[in-house]
Amino acid sequence: MQSFHEDCVALAMRRFRRGEVGRRALLRGLAGLGLGAMAVPDALAQAVRQIVMVNWGGIANQGFGRFYGEPFMAANPGWRVVQDSTGPSAGRIRSMVESGRVTWDICDSSATTSHLLGGMNLLTRVDYGVVKREDVIGPTFALEFGAAPYSFSSVLVYDSSKFPTAPTGWADFWDLQRFPGTRLLRRDAAGALDAAQLSLGKDPANLYPLDVRASLERVRQIRRNLVFWTSGSESEQFMRTGEAVMGQIWHTRAKVLEQETNGRIKFIWNQGILQPGIMVIPRGNPAGAMVQNFLASMLANAEQQVELLKFLGNGPTNPRAAALVPEEYRRFNPTDPANARVQVPQDGQWWGANYARVNADYIDMVTG
Amino acid sequence: MSGAGRPGAGWWLLLLPALVLVVVFYVAPIAQVLTISVTEPEPGLGNYERLFTSPAVQRVILTTLRICIITTAIALLLGYAIAYAITLASPRARGWWILAVLVPLWISVLVRAFAWVTLLRRQGLVNNTLLELGVIAEPLPLVWNEFGIIVGMVHYMVPFAVLPMLASMREIDPRLLAAARGLGASRGEVFRRVFLPLSMPGVIAAGVLVFIFSLGFYITPAILGGGKTLMVAEWIGLQILDLVRWGLGTMMATMLVVAILLTLAVFSRIVDLRRIFGAGG
Repeated sequence: MQSFHEDCVALAMRRFRRGEVGRRALLRGLAGLGLGAMAVPDALAQAVRQIVMVNWGGIANQGFGRFYGEPFMAANPGWRVVQDSTGPSAGRIRSMVESGRVTWDICDSSATTSHLLGGMNLLTRVDYGVVKREDVIGPTFALEFGAAPYSFSSVLVYDSSKFPTAPTGWADFWDLQRFPGTRLLRRDAAGALDAAQLSLGKDPANLYPLDVRASLERVRQIRRNLVFWTSGSESEQFMRTGEAVMGQIWHTRAKVLEQETNGRIKFIWNQGILQPGIMVIPRGNPAGAMVQNFLASMLANAEQQVELLKFLGNGPTNPRAAALVPEEYRRFNPTDPANARVQVPQDGQWWGANYARVNADYIDMVTG
Repeated sequence: MSGAGRPGAGWWLLLLPALVLVVVFYVAPIAQVLTISVTEPEPGLGNYERLFTSPAVQRVILTTLRICIITTAIALLLGYAIAYAITLASPRARGWWILAVLVPLWISVLVRAFAWVTLLRRQGLVNNTLLELGVIAEPLPLVWNEFGIIVGMVHYMVPFAVLPMLASMREIDPRLLAAARGLGASRGEVFRRVFLPLSMPGVIAAGVLVFIFSLGFYITPAILGGGKTLMVAEWIGLQILDLVRWGLGTMMATMLVVAILLTLAVFSRIVDLRRIFGAGG
């Protein structure tokens, strides 16, 4: 983990490279940090070669640094991986690339955004000469404009104290007679409409393309009984405080809820929407082609992926990883063969091509 | 008056740095962003056409206007009562009153929104108390809807309504009220025919201030709306950050700026807004 001290050095070096401070001021500053002039050439060389990884904040900042950044730094002396928790939304990546001053190398994004931004010529393609396709468990984890070192799932979570029988799938989510109470969905079409389509009884193997009209109508039917979340912590709060009795939330939050309520709130893997945690590379990234090696190392490093699962709950995507997961964590691993089998992999390709239009319609319906 | 009253060229030169600063760092970037609305996805007024053709765009505007008008009306009503009470209070009590009005202003808008969630949710303080007293059988839907948003916004806006009205009420000469009483008017008549008309400039100014402020509200509706009510500011954020439809987003931003300028232009003809916004007597 990066110490505060290291961060001070990194900050000083950044200001120097940007020309905000002169060489003399830099040396003075480093001396103030207890680094003599001797340390400077080394620090200079290191700081020039760094990879900026952008996440969404929270403990991901720690987890990504420890399990993706540190192993890479250990294997590649002279390279530093630094974390930035700005939150790389599609709009922010676009404005950075279009301004021509790109400071990000690799961003925690999604399949949908990778297609959206890739189509606008704002991303660098994954170089599958360097990154190995056989390092991931399925084709949805290695895309043209991004690859996934982790996975997550949008699962059905419910308050078991409210129902005598447990719900088993999205059809029950829509059954307000047998399971009365407020429902919780993400205010994002991707995930919600997949569940709506499944609730209509479509074969999970041929789920895509979604029947958008029918799925939207399906959500509209229960609109009066719905609340919507926009951040993970919000989804947790809605369930914890009893605002909603059933919801579709990320498995990482569902796990926390199940453990912290001693099983009062439970979740099921059945018909969970399995998604890749796609990392994308903004076009013109400062570290250049080296970021491909970093991506390759994240995908190849099964042991560290398992550590991330233990720490944050993100599922590994390396085919060797599932067997390395200790027994007590298997229940919470979305890519454990037993769990993966009953989930439905989301089609990022279809969503990428249709996201902007479908999500606009979804939000219109939600707010209508 | 002729020579001394008119600022010479030297004065303008002194102002120049400030002017350049504002233009370069404020006006130019905003103009740059707003031009995206006529250049994306293709050059033309296609984005503005949506104002007339897209029910979704219209709904966002109508929702925003509805919430802002209701918020303004309630904030003015409450604010007027408070300002009136402060005006009539003894100097000592007045200090405490003003402190009570100002303290909420210093609390972060985020903290206040979450505080309202805690009070209004299904198992919140309000619902639990009412349930235990047997007043209601089922929790009332007090939050995750427009009601919740309006509660949160009114709470934020009341101080902004009180201050301009208070300023205007304190300029009313108390002897006028005494004179009206002396001429045989009842208390109600004194208020209706003397106090209320004299305080109207303050009411209008407070209304304009609160309304304009409400138009751009982001955090309160996002937290208290339960995702189901979208106001313009959040809608713009969604278009820019998530849907990457910058043309549409900046079109709405332009409309927001135009709406604010228009409101100011109209009302500046009715009351002296410069004084209300602190440009001095």
